[in-house]
Amino acid sequence: MISTQKHTGEVNSSDIVRAMNSPAGSYSPEKLQALISPAAEDYLEEMAQTARQLTIQRFGKTIRLYAPLYLSNYCVNNCLYCGFNKDNKYQRRRLTIEQAVEEADIIASEGFRDILLVSSEDRESISVDYLCELAGRLRGKFSSISIEVYQMTTEEYAKLFAAGIEGVTLYQETYDRDVYRKYHPAGPKADYDHRLSAADSIAQAGMREIGIGALLGLSDWRLETLSLGEHAHYLMKRYWKSRVSLSFPRLRPAKNVDRTQFSFLSDKNLVQMIVALRLCFADAGMVLSTRERAELRDHLIEVGVTKVSAGSKTSPGGYSQSRNAADSTHSTDSGQAGSPQAEQFEIDDTRSPAEVAGMIRARGFEPVWKDWDSAFAKR
Amino acid sequence: MDKLVIAGKEFDSRLLVGTGKFASCEIMAEALEASGAEIVTVALRRVDICRKASPGGENKNDDTLRAIDVKRYLLLPNTSGARDAEEAVRLSKLARAATGINWVKLEVTPDPYYLLPDPVETLKAAEILVKDGFVVLPYINADPILSKRLQDVGTATVMPLGSPIGSNQGLKTRSALEIIIEQANVPVIVDAGLGLPSHAAEAMEMGADAVLVNTAIATAAEPNQMATAFKLAVEAGRMAYKAGAAAASKRASASSPLTGFLRDNKQEK
Amino acid sequence: MRECFFNFGEVKMEALKINGVEKQFPAGQLPSTVAKLLEVLDIEGATAAAEIDGEIIDREKFAETKLRNGQSIELVRFVGGG
Repeated sequence: MISTQKHTGEVNSSDIVRAMNSPAGSYSPEKLQALISPAAEDYLEEMAQTARQLTIQRFGKTIRLYAPLYLSNYCVNNCLYCGFNKDNKYQRRRLTIEQAVEEADIIASEGFRDILLVSSEDRESISVDYLCELAGRLRGKFSSISIEVYQMTTEEYAKLFAAGIEGVTLYQETYDRDVYRKYHPAGPKADYDHRLSAADSIAQAGMREIGIGALLGLSDWRLETLSLGEHAHYLMKRYWKSRVSLSFPRLRPAKNVDRTQFSFLSDKNLVQMIVALRLCFADAGMVLSTRERAELRDHLIEVGVTKVSAGSKTSPGGYSQSRNAADSTHSTDSGQAGSPQAEQFEIDDTRSPAEVAGMIRARGFEPVWKDWDSAFAKR
Repeated sequence: MDKLVIAGKEFDSRLLVGTGKFASCEIMAEALEASGAEIVTVALRRVDICRKASPGGENKNDDTLRAIDVKRYLLLPNTSGARDAEEAVRLSKLARAATGINWVKLEVTPDPYYLLPDPVETLKAAEILVKDGFVVLPYINADPILSKRLQDVGTATVMPLGSPIGSNQGLKTRSALEIIIEQANVPVIVDAGLGLPSHAAEAMEMGADAVLVNTAIATAAEPNQMATAFKLAVEAGRMAYKAGAAAASKRASASSPLTGFLRDNKQEK
Repeated sequence: MRECFFNFGEVKMEALKINGVEKQFPAGQLPSTVAKLLEVLDIEGATAAAEIDGEIIDREKFAETKLRNGQSIELVRFVGGG
């Protein structure tokens, strides 16, 4: 999708200075390339200051909060990097509508009004109809319902939109075609171009929010960033009525996943990536999950991140289980086998939502649980 | 210099010139030549059928077009005078019937004081005209949302004003123009209010694809020279834009450090 | 008493409404086609556009488009404009 004019190693300081002096929030591939170059590391502090100012100007001194609700970890895909990979042996579970609503109630009781329904490629059980029904049940409790599930058609997305879901997140995983092929050898996700077209389907169906991202570590992070920039720019121009959000899932340890084959990026790289993208896209949402450790998240909300999850449980039924375990009067046998459920990735920020909200306030931002009232929408 | 492409047609010149307000047809023709323009706008007016020939034999219905070499310039009829979509569509069709050209500069200006364009009627007319096969270049106020709506219905460009027609005030709508240019999927032609060549250069430096100038050239003391000046300004502005100008520094002044924690932090994953 | 069966001095007239103004022609002298009308009005055909009773006439058809008594015609032409 993108061919870089020159390798980022060839970027010189005048390129970087010019990139930093260009209007904040304006994008060009050359500008992004300069800002993520190794040479730009020397300017990181200055970039971070500008990114912070720009974010505050556009988003206010606020940070949005959301919670993920994992519905199923049955998966037909064989993505080699994922904890839910179908060949991995672990206990699988999927929630019924009632169980999902029970999880959602716990999430709502923590204060969340923005929920992300997550599922592996489990079309059979977590079907379009299932999601529509669940959305109907949750509409009264949450002002924003988004999903992060398997890829669907435009018609299916339109159905979900009519049912009350207003955002869809779907990662390309990697924009590197060769690496993509390597990690998605077979199954529904094997077609790179089909995957890439998902964001268009999402937008055409009328969704208000489109979430994109790459799983950082599968390929060179600079390549991913440049591709992500082009993808975001394309979507913003073409689907001007939807908001594009960027996520930064960084490959993290997971059970049964071989770590040696990935190129993990450092904290510094991640900061540079976030800040560079913010300087190019003033209005893109930037989302950080509890994959990242607390201290890093605390700093990243100051330089461009606008939305974070908190208190996340990444296995289906995790919220109820956690509540039950905490409450010693309940029996520990809730019908599942003794071993804990498989998680998609290890959580590193284990703070409760209240603690995270407190941290946000301590840094001079207001935690926002409810961003907009979908009750006002005409559907 | 890179070519301007509108509806698949390529042009070398990024300066469009209007043919109104000139003292005479000859002066107009010379100025057009000096400007290097390839696209010139014309208007449509009712024929005056009650005219009497003046003593000098001058024909009040003297054709502007007689002075323009129609093989050399692309004539772009405008619908000035139309006060609503229906009138604009009618004028467009009349123009097409007269020339065979299906390009039209859509101008719906019910307000006779500032000649500001009506957004609602413009969008309405644009949709009808695009469906009827016209290449539509709509003249609008610098409204970013209206620009997107027009692009959605298929106009070939958008033509936001810099300031009201004839006011020569330059780019009063600069901030909005920046947004329009950033978000546009079609060429952006800044039209109206460009009083000086420096205004035109400024528009091109901002990334506009072309500009349209009429009053500033037609009413200058030396239209020929002014036309040349605008030509050079447009070229200079475009070159500067392509050369990647180092804009004035807008960088933040440091407050407390935001990335210090990276240095302190030994734990890298 | 004299009975008059015809009026001396009264000639039958025909008219076309052109650009909102009625223009009368003695019977038989109404311009037969658009092209003829333009000639009569001394208007350059190459740059004019015509609309008869609301219908736009292509320039190629000026010579063959017939005019009839009572029609409403719009004639426009190109002039300088921005």
